[in-house]
Amino acid sequence: MTNKPLLSVRNLSVRFPSPDGDVVAVRDLSFDLGRRETLGVIGESGCGKSTLSYAIMDYLSPGARRSGAVLFKGQDLLLKSEREMREIRGNRIAMVYQNPYSALNPSLTIGEQLDEVSRAHRGLGKEAAREASLGTLRELSLGDPEGVARRYPHQISGGIQQRVCIAMALLCRPDIMILDEPTTALDVTTEAVILDIVAGLKERYDMSMIYISHDIGIVNKVSDRVAVMYRGEIVEHGPQERIYERPEHPYTRALINCMPRAGVKKESTTLNTIPGYVKRRSADEDGCPFAERCVKRAPGCEDDYGLAEQEPGHFAACGRAYADERPWTREAEAAASATGAEPAPAGADERIAPAAEGGTEPLLSLRGVGKFYRNQKKTVRALDGVDFDVFKDDVLGVVGESGCGKSTAGHVIAGLAAADRGSISFDGGEIAGSWRRRDRRALREVQLIFQNPGRSLNPSFSVQAILERPLKKLLGVKDPAERRRRAVEMLRKVDLGEEYLSRRPRRLSGGEKQRVALARAFLSSPKLLVCDEATSALDVSVQASVLNLLNELQAESGASYLFISHDLNVVNYVSDHVLVMYLGRVCEYGRRDEVVTPPYHPYTEALLSAAPEVDPARRDKPIRLKGSPPDPTRPIRGCPFAGRCHKKIGPVCDETPPPRLALSATHHIYCHLQAEGLQGAVRL
Amino acid sequence: MNKLGYALRRNPAAAVGLVALAAWVVVALVGPSMLRFGHTAMDMESQLSAPGLNGHALGTDALGRDILARIVYGSRSILSVALLTSLFSSIAGVALGFSAGYFGGKIDAAFMRFLDILMAIPPLVLSMVVLGALGDSSVGALTLIVSIAYTPATARVARSALLSCKGLEYVDAARLRGESHAYIMFVEILPNAIGPILVEVTARFAYSIMMIASLGFLGVGLQPPTPDWGMMVIENKTVIREAPWAVLYPSLAIASLVIAVSLISDFLAKVLIHDE
Repeated sequence: MTNKPLLSVRNLSVRFPSPDGDVVAVRDLSFDLGRRETLGVIGESGCGKSTLSYAIMDYLSPGARRSGAVLFKGQDLLLKSEREMREIRGNRIAMVYQNPYSALNPSLTIGEQLDEVSRAHRGLGKEAAREASLGTLRELSLGDPEGVARRYPHQISGGIQQRVCIAMALLCRPDIMILDEPTTALDVTTEAVILDIVAGLKERYDMSMIYISHDIGIVNKVSDRVAVMYRGEIVEHGPQERIYERPEHPYTRALINCMPRAGVKKESTTLNTIPGYVKRRSADEDGCPFAERCVKRAPGCEDDYGLAEQEPGHFAACGRAYADERPWTREAEAAASATGAEPAPAGADERIAPAAEGGTEPLLSLRGVGKFYRNQKKTVRALDGVDFDVFKDDVLGVVGESGCGKSTAGHVIAGLAAADRGSISFDGGEIAGSWRRRDRRALREVQLIFQNPGRSLNPSFSVQAILERPLKKLLGVKDPAERRRRAVEMLRKVDLGEEYLSRRPRRLSGGEKQRVALARAFLSSPKLLVCDEATSALDVSVQASVLNLLNELQAESGASYLFISHDLNVVNYVSDHVLVMYLGRVCEYGRRDEVVTPPYHPYTEALLSAAPEVDPARRDKPIRLKGSPPDPTRPIRGCPFAGRCHKKIGPVCDETPPPRLALSATHHIYCHLQAEGLQGAVRL
Repeated sequence: MNKLGYALRRNPAAAVGLVALAAWVVVALVGPSMLRFGHTAMDMESQLSAPGLNGHALGTDALGRDILARIVYGSRSILSVALLTSLFSSIAGVALGFSAGYFGGKIDAAFMRFLDILMAIPPLVLSMVVLGALGDSSVGALTLIVSIAYTPATARVARSALLSCKGLEYVDAARLRGESHAYIMFVEILPNAIGPILVEVTARFAYSIMMIASLGFLGVGLQPPTPDWGMMVIENKTVIREAPWAVLYPSLAIASLVIAVSLISDFLAKVLIHDE
């Protein structure tokens, strides 16, 4: 960036008053954004990423105080009046938010909302405005702009909604577009499409972007430079590939290493974690914000601190932590951190060896299971004839986009909903469909972990009450002292202490809550644990520690897991077997290594290709799915994926259900193609 | 306790309400033993005497009865009937509303339609008709009928409070533990739905006071010679020119109690519902 920066943030601080003194959300932050440059901002929740964007736009809640300077084309936005800011917002700096549905007005058609932007900001007439709207939609590769313009927000999918929001931001030809987690609420395949679009925007529209995300994989896809935020400060920034390849700050390195990356598996690697959690920052706190959680902390390092150029264009607030390791490579780090319980045998052996011992005798078998939700005339086929097994002492990962039936499968197995069709056998016998008819043993042996631990723990109960109730109810432990003893013992196993007994869920962090939920599940020594997006609501560093804990508990108890997640990297990390679902049906099932390597189902291939890749070097020719999953209320005769498939062979796909193609004793695919046709270049 | 103090300091109106209610409770409990006159004793020498004369602090009515004594005694009946009414109507309302919301479907439809029918009749009219037909206005009958009249509103509030918790995963977790419906409703959900219900209970308490006073005023409330604030207003309506105090003081008593309870109810709504 040799030219003059378009946006220059200088010593920006944002404080919010609170009863316990001011909280500093953004602290003394400076950066430049050049023309046609994309700056990616990453960090965990509570690190001030969104506050930064609101501070630039002057959208902060009343009471917040800003100081410093935000120079946009040489003018300080902090000194502008509300009226002057209104000229800049939307016109010069536009914003795209996380949830497109709540950003659009539900009572206006898409066309009306888009036209309004051009008419209000650019003074265009009715026809000209509509022309501009349709043109922008077309440029965002929407197939049928006229059709979309006629519809209301609830009539279009989330991916299209987000494209409409982006179009809305683009209509004024802004100089800067700020995107705040624009794909977090979307499916991976949709996310991939949006990211492709975003990556091409700055050239086409001659603008700069600030892209905020918690996921470094996503940020890497679209950014030129990356800034890492921690507790309101930028702790490191530099060219995107340098941040990934040579992170200098211990927080950046820890954050990258926390993420289950492509190819990282539980047999070979225990995920890195960051001890502690992101604390709010008070006004009088000085020094290194990360010191408390830093593994490289040394005497006196808290004060020897400040952004400094470590190599040309690459700044880090801490240059000493890894100074002795230069030149540093990711491979060396991976090798050094490979300290799992079972060190992987080198090279190719790993692939051939069974992922874990056991794993051949089925614990749970679903045969032809269907679950239909009827309302008035329509029937949603949430599960439509699903067959699969979960083996003893084995982890089955279930992946698919939202609406593919993976959560319904989990609920049917856990007993929250009874299947309408088919049979479920568990541990050698039939199991009743619903919790109403399940006996104590069945309830005890199948446990469910929910996505949101804040909602799965009763806020009115103490941890002690939460843990002791299943002991009494499911295990019949009558003696209160014995119950308490067992509860404490279980708390220790999930790395929490006795002092947690008296706490209420409100006083626990997200990770602690999920640990309590795990403790509750494991108290009844389950044979099967259904994890329904159990780590999806957690920050990456917390997710890593919960995943490690899940692995430990699994190895120790020999329980089987049904691990449901939308995140392929996580599923790849924890699973022994993988099930890929689409629209209530099975696409592919097999050992993990068989599923994530070719040959695979075209849908699996598309999912793998869409997964955000942390490592910028590992990018293949992407496969992008067209459209969105079909209406689940419409009966499908052929292959459910036919409409979006990039390898569709002809009418047979639409008319005949795909046959079960066994590729090995443990691996099968439902597709009309033969094994040769299912090859592909992507691998995880 | 500290939190309560902090919240009260930020809502001085609620503190006033709390003090006023506490004062009335004290009056009802210990007031009668400190009085010079009985509430039915007729002082034939000083009928319609002005406040402060002949030892009657708030004056007397047409029969020479001490207004203060009648207000103090009257506080007992009105507080106890109002308390019991709000208690009974909330217990019945929570039971009905929770069952309707929890079981849903046909049970919900049946319960709610039945409550709709009850609700369509204004509570005052319902109480007047029933009490008139019974010809019995004992404390028991009064409590019962006002409780029934107020049950539908409480049931609606309880139902919606339950529905906001019913979909949460801790309820699913309890089901998967094989808990009974009653346990899930009253142990798992009730503590988390208690905010709106408590607000409703206090609001009903205030309404009950109004209702009992109104019924007394209309002559179908507690029967003479039991002192009843509403009845005192109507009894002395004819002498309002000569002795305005005989109407004014019972009216002030009603107003102060209703306003005090309403302030507390508003405060609870603020603290229990909006702050969380």
